[in-house]
Amino acid sequence: MTNVSNTQKTLLLLGTGALLALPLVLSQSLVNASIQMLIAVLFAASFNLLSGQGGMLSFGHAAYFGIGSFATVHAMNAFGGNGLLPTPLLPLAGGALGLVAGLAAGWFATKRTGVYFAMITLALAELLHSLAPHLKGWFGGEAGLSTMRMPAWGLTFGDSNQVYYLTLFWVLLSLALLYLFTLTPVGRLTLGLRENANRLRFLGYDTHRLGVLVFAVSAMFAGIAGALQALNMEAANYVVFESSASAAVVLNSYIGGVKLFLGPALGAAVMTFFGYAVSDLTRSWLLYQGIVFVLVMMFMPTGLAGLIKSFATHGKAYGLRPLLPIALVFIIGTLLLTGGTVFTVEMLQRFFSQDYRSMAALNGGGWPAIPLFGREWDPVSPLTWLVPAALLAAGIATVRLANGRWLRLKDAAPAAEAVAHAATNVRRNPA
Amino acid sequence: MEYLIVSLLNGAIYGLLLFMVSAGLTLIFGMMGVLNFAHASFYMLGAYFAYTLQGAIGFWPAIVVSPILVGLVGVAVERFFLRRVHHHGHAHELLLTFGLSFIVAELIKLFFGNFPVDYRIPASLDFAAFQLGVSSYPFYRVFMGGIAVAMFAVIYLLLTYTRVGIVVRSAIYKPRMAEALGHNVPLVFMGVFGIGAALAGLAGAVAGAFYTTNPNMALELGVMVFVVVVVGGLGSLEGAMLASLLIGLITAFSVGIDRSLADLLALFGAGAWAGEAGGLLTLKLSSLAGTIPFALMLLILLVRPSGLMGEKE
Repeated sequence: MTNVSNTQKTLLLLGTGALLALPLVLSQSLVNASIQMLIAVLFAASFNLLSGQGGMLSFGHAAYFGIGSFATVHAMNAFGGNGLLPTPLLPLAGGALGLVAGLAAGWFATKRTGVYFAMITLALAELLHSLAPHLKGWFGGEAGLSTMRMPAWGLTFGDSNQVYYLTLFWVLLSLALLYLFTLTPVGRLTLGLRENANRLRFLGYDTHRLGVLVFAVSAMFAGIAGALQALNMEAANYVVFESSASAAVVLNSYIGGVKLFLGPALGAAVMTFFGYAVSDLTRSWLLYQGIVFVLVMMFMPTGLAGLIKSFATHGKAYGLRPLLPIALVFIIGTLLLTGGTVFTVEMLQRFFSQDYRSMAALNGGGWPAIPLFGREWDPVSPLTWLVPAALLAAGIATVRLANGRWLRLKDAAPAAEAVAHAATNVRRNPA
Repeated sequence: MEYLIVSLLNGAIYGLLLFMVSAGLTLIFGMMGVLNFAHASFYMLGAYFAYTLQGAIGFWPAIVVSPILVGLVGVAVERFFLRRVHHHGHAHELLLTFGLSFIVAELIKLFFGNFPVDYRIPASLDFAAFQLGVSSYPFYRVFMGGIAVAMFAVIYLLLTYTRVGIVVRSAIYKPRMAEALGHNVPLVFMGVFGIGAALAGLAGAVAGAFYTTNPNMALELGVMVFVVVVVGGLGSLEGAMLASLLIGLITAFSVGIDRSLADLLALFGAGAWAGEAGGLLTLKLSSLAGTIPFALMLLILLVRPSGLMGEKE
């Protein structure tokens, strides 16, 4: 992990360059979506330090995000963008409060491990969520608090491009710090905490203190993400404490793949982007997100990033020539499955919606046709339902075909498989 | 005095309802080490199934059929989802059930809309059980409490006095040994998972009519059920009963008390200062009712981390 290869360096530079150039080519609303993506990326990366690297599954990480958010709104109102904390440095307030909250909450939560830890984090977040609307002075009640981004350092922070660059700077800085943290001895001990806490204790480490430290650092970066959110929205409301926000970061991170440093970031970016892209098209985005998550947990526990990495490693071992057709077949199968699922869900959603029910009642009992994908579909005709059924069946058959060919390829070249495995193992244990 | 009795009854019955859901959760955990995040979703499914069925087959058959359906869903979840990821460890199973609970909630929204449905008590059960001063006490609450008590008795007797109960307890205590003695432990797991789900479904079918039936009911109750099992001690049926009643009573009493910390401090002559300090000090206890169970849970974790009756770490 320490010896970053040249390809990785180039990729990193190219990625940063692309991110810097984004506002020049994108429309205003896409820049706003990119800001949301960057914030989600940082939030997921902070979650990954705790859950992916530390093995402490948190179901209440939105609490620290929200605390960072509110701290920043208060700091913005207190300093007015100047004085001690000018606008560009405001995320420090969110990070500091996140750190303090993380120390306090972490002290409780890390007393237990495993599923107990998960439940304590959930309970702490719910505690805050149920308390927040009653504390008007701190959280502004049901209405929330609002504020203004003030000009500082000769910048107005009036348009989204400036906010984008500010967010980008903080997100890249935080990601770099999080990555450097994994290289420190404490970072290595964090992995030990996940793999075998008993052994660490046996070696004389204080695992509770270590756990609290990891929890606090993770909460600090979640607080910075929350601060960026407050800077972007110029407001904060107690709904940031809602369990759906904590759920989203869990889903994003595991879809991306928690075993790799950038996995959760990838998951968060992809899912936030899709959420933005389809928000006008469907009301069932959360359902799709849940289905993708369950599929990932069942069939590819390493997530999207793991899939890409294993493709790269196996590509080296077998050569790309036999691997590409399999990948192609796999992608076709996935697309067919997606088509079938989307068709079914959207059809059901429209069929069971209240608008449709009242329209059907007006029509005098019959079921009028449902427009979907530029066509009219008769909801009671079996032909309509044959379409998604055929898509799903074809999708499953295609994915199975890809899987079978992949297994045959592996059987045919056991030596190459050993090489690939050795490569993964070296990556996993750089020491 | 009236207030005391009504609160006592309400709290006990809410506690019994919590127990109906947490019993299955704690049994499943004790047996397989799986914390089933989707358990409260089974409660919600029970309510929605009963709501859908009662139009077709009437209230009583719906209350019988819907737990069976939920139990079958539970069996399917164990057989086709949990068993496949078992080798990845407990955290993975927890995450999977978390995803499933998400899907269930979204599917409910898809089919029934994101608002409460009109599921209510049948007219034949909607009468007063007895009079307390001027107010009358609804029979349906007593009915819910009765079902929960009956359920506790049946589970307890089944587990302690029957052969099936012995096999189940041995599968909890030493799964490998039970398997070596020729018992089909995976089948026992599946059965317990299904029965736990069915119990939650029964609770939903009965309580959904009294409280509201909406897509958020799983989350609202689910969090409270987690608190119950942590306070009671994961894996302990008696602990779940005790903690459920405790939390039910605390919630019921705190809702009715319109006092704050400032009032308490006023007894020591610091009332004016507390009123000025504001924040937590002037919050009424009644508005904190939803918060107290979580605080209790943190307290329990501090003084007795394995829960009131728990032994397993």
